[in-house]
Amino acid sequence: MSSANVKGWPKLTSADEFRFLADLVLKRSGADHTVVNLHDLHTGTTRFANSRIVQNVDTRRGTVTVTVAFDSRRGSASTTDFTAGAIQDTLARAERIAQVSPEDPEYLPPPEPQVFPTPLTSRPETAAAGPARRLEYANEAIGQCRIENLQAAGIVSSSVASVGVAASNGLFAQEERTEGRFSLTVQAEDATGWTAAAHRSLDHLKIQDRTLSAIHKAKRGREVQELAPGRYPVILEPAAVAGLWSWMLWTLDAKSYEKGTSPFAGQLGRQIVDERLTLQNLPGHPDLLGTGFTNEGLPSEDALWIEKGVLKQLDYDRFTAKQQKMKRIATIEAPCLSASGPAAGKTQDLIKRCERAILVTNFWYIRIVNPTDLTLTGMTRDGTFLVEDGQITSAVRNFRFHESPLRVFKRVDAFTEPVEAVTSETGKMLVPAMILRDFYFSSVTRF
Amino acid sequence: MSYMRADEMADLALKRVAASGAEYGDIRLLKSMGQTISGEDRRIASIRDVEDSGFGVRVLYHGGWGFAASSILSLEEVPRVADLAVEIARGSASLASEKTRLVDEPVHRDRVVTQCRIDPFTVPLDQKTTLLRDVMDSLQRQPDVVRSSVSLWARRDHKLFVSTEGTRLEFDLLAVQGEFTATARHDGRFASRSFATPHLRTGYELIEAANFMAHAPRIASQAVEKVRAPAVRPGLYDLVLDPEHLALTMHESCGHPSELDRALGYEANYAGTSFLTPEKRGTFRYGSRHVNLVADNTEPETLAATGYDDDGVACQRWDIVRQGLFVGYCTNREVASKVGETRSRGSNRADSWGSVPIVRIANIGLEPGSASLDDLLADVKRGIYIEGHGSYSIDQRRYNFQFGGDAFWLVENGKRTGMLRDVIYHGITPEFWNSCDGVADRRHRRRYGFITCGKGQPGQSGWMTHAASHARFRRVAVIKG
Repeated sequence: MSSANVKGWPKLTSADEFRFLADLVLKRSGADHTVVNLHDLHTGTTRFANSRIVQNVDTRRGTVTVTVAFDSRRGSASTTDFTAGAIQDTLARAERIAQVSPEDPEYLPPPEPQVFPTPLTSRPETAAAGPARRLEYANEAIGQCRIENLQAAGIVSSSVASVGVAASNGLFAQEERTEGRFSLTVQAEDATGWTAAAHRSLDHLKIQDRTLSAIHKAKRGREVQELAPGRYPVILEPAAVAGLWSWMLWTLDAKSYEKGTSPFAGQLGRQIVDERLTLQNLPGHPDLLGTGFTNEGLPSEDALWIEKGVLKQLDYDRFTAKQQKMKRIATIEAPCLSASGPAAGKTQDLIKRCERAILVTNFWYIRIVNPTDLTLTGMTRDGTFLVEDGQITSAVRNFRFHESPLRVFKRVDAFTEPVEAVTSETGKMLVPAMILRDFYFSSVTRF
Repeated sequence: MSYMRADEMADLALKRVAASGAEYGDIRLLKSMGQTISGEDRRIASIRDVEDSGFGVRVLYHGGWGFAASSILSLEEVPRVADLAVEIARGSASLASEKTRLVDEPVHRDRVVTQCRIDPFTVPLDQKTTLLRDVMDSLQRQPDVVRSSVSLWARRDHKLFVSTEGTRLEFDLLAVQGEFTATARHDGRFASRSFATPHLRTGYELIEAANFMAHAPRIASQAVEKVRAPAVRPGLYDLVLDPEHLALTMHESCGHPSELDRALGYEANYAGTSFLTPEKRGTFRYGSRHVNLVADNTEPETLAATGYDDDGVACQRWDIVRQGLFVGYCTNREVASKVGETRSRGSNRADSWGSVPIVRIANIGLEPGSASLDDLLADVKRGIYIEGHGSYSIDQRRYNFQFGGDAFWLVENGKRTGMLRDVIYHGITPEFWNSCDGVADRRHRRRYGFITCGKGQPGQSGWMTHAASHARFRRVAVIKG
């Protein structure tokens, strides 16, 4: 069933309708180049806290953006009004801006038309999900927590979007993208346990299993001790690994690299992390949120970013790529970090290997401290434990860390196979859980 | 969209809500216009003109909330959205173990208009791009400055709020801001120095008065001085913090913990909770006697001074911390009664027509003291003077923080000497604010604010202003970042 068939539901813009909207612009544009972008989103979230529904929302927002260029003078305007008059007015606004804009030496015409890959970006069960389904899933998590006399806070959300790009040179792409999300914080007095998931299919969120896992963590966290800050071996669960790797991905831009203002300056082709680690873009992977194309109209394809610890790829804008004579621009919207060699089965197996270590469920509020070496800071959150002789012996108060992923991922002791990971501050990735040596916790907080 | 047509849509929506048996409903119809011009490395990189319009209907049915919104502004779409909001609220009510009740608010009928001398949307675009290119040229004339970035931002919101209680409010609100940054490179390192106007509800006169070109050479030379400066030596230092820097420190360590929804657990799964739990109100020593933190959503030009919030509650001024004692929260009509208050503080705001309003930090500011900046510095034997924003991070209950800054000067025997780099200070919120032993007087008061304060699921961006004079803090832990 497509979203358009659900009774009472707003109909999202189809490929044919987007082509019609785009033609309204492209046929009237007097610019040398014109690009039309579509983002038509229908999304809903059921939010709960203290084991009751505190927010329950549903929003339909359609946006059309028109970008035009006269020579290299460019302007962009957008609207949420899809009437013909408003779309044409948006074109006129973009043209007015471009006509008085200075020339942009980095301007490039839109990419040539091409055949885009078609990963499975939309799942009917997610597109069809409405408030009742979201409420049902939220109630499942709340109910399990109530049985344990614990407090639940979290969200269940589902969305479906029609996304498209069309240009005056014939470039055209449109696809439907769905996404379901679940996250849960279980509170057991002062202790918390957390879990999160995101998937194209709302039915793949494994709400029952994840809720039990968060309950288990919260209950384990009731007896807490404070440890001194310092260097510890750590077992990072996948969400914690993803939190650190996200900052690697966000700082790989090629322009900064070329201008010497990148933490990776001079490192292309060199080993930057443990030689067993490989980072790829896998937009066709069923458990990642891959897409068929980018907003600019470039194809999303498999790409190798780090191979056996060696930096192979940078995040190129089209101008820098042309300058560097890059034939193809790699994207990284569906990252998968894997490690070669014998892998542990689960995080529990990593715990069994440790004589003494800190187990970190998740990091929170990660920010750059030093952009030159990518030193980051952040806090542990929602499940930080002391591991002794292969088992969790107590919860510990949360730490602040100061570390660079460029340093700590050279100190990998063991790892699992990559698994799904998502946090409130990062996109979705596949990453292993890992044991790292000498991770620096700089201070401790009060809980 | 004319107000006449908006009223027609509001009337249609609220009649359906009332007919459903809901105890409360409101509608916000909004048309926002935004313009962002940004440049980097001597080129104008993008000019974006955004029109964003739509409406949202909020319903409280038998103690359960529902909200639905759409960008289709038509009389045909209104019934679908209103009925969906009711249906969602019924679903929430069916699981409600505790019924939501709203505290009373008088009925208001009013119109709020931002006062300005120069409408930013009437300023010719080429005047703005010329200014930004001149600024980038000026910054990059400085040897060792390798990159520059600039931006100008303006937004106008036309909004109509109508509730089933009879409140009807029209808004015509403006906000403006501009900033630029120079990045210098030296010896394999790079460092940035920035200049920013506050985000304020005023016109383009804010940008003209800021005189970017007069500041650009200083910012460029300080970027170079900063990247060449010695790294800080870790230890305990007295800190003197400027108002722009304090805006962020107050925001994170006072603003967020004073949001009552956080203290009650509403944000436990995302933004976090608060160490300022209700039993601490009136008894907890948050800071020293020099620390008076006041929420003021009535001060003209500030971001949260919109006349009324998105509950239709009139903006107010109240104490958060009085002479160091924690005394007040930011609240809305839903949570106010949970701490025994009979009226909301009017801090419930949504970031668009498509978002449901949530409790937001008010315009919380540090009240001026009696010293001058020179007085504060004179009594420092070994300290650091910090300007602007840098790295920031804080735990989810707002205890353990760390802040950097944009520029740092070593202070020795009462005098600012050379610049430092890589300064990070960290601590525990109440210990830090209890170490405050002096605040500069009203002459030093400046206002800075934020439009990207993240909170809520789905995420929303909050707007608020934080005013302060310079303040001094004793023996704060500093590390090298």
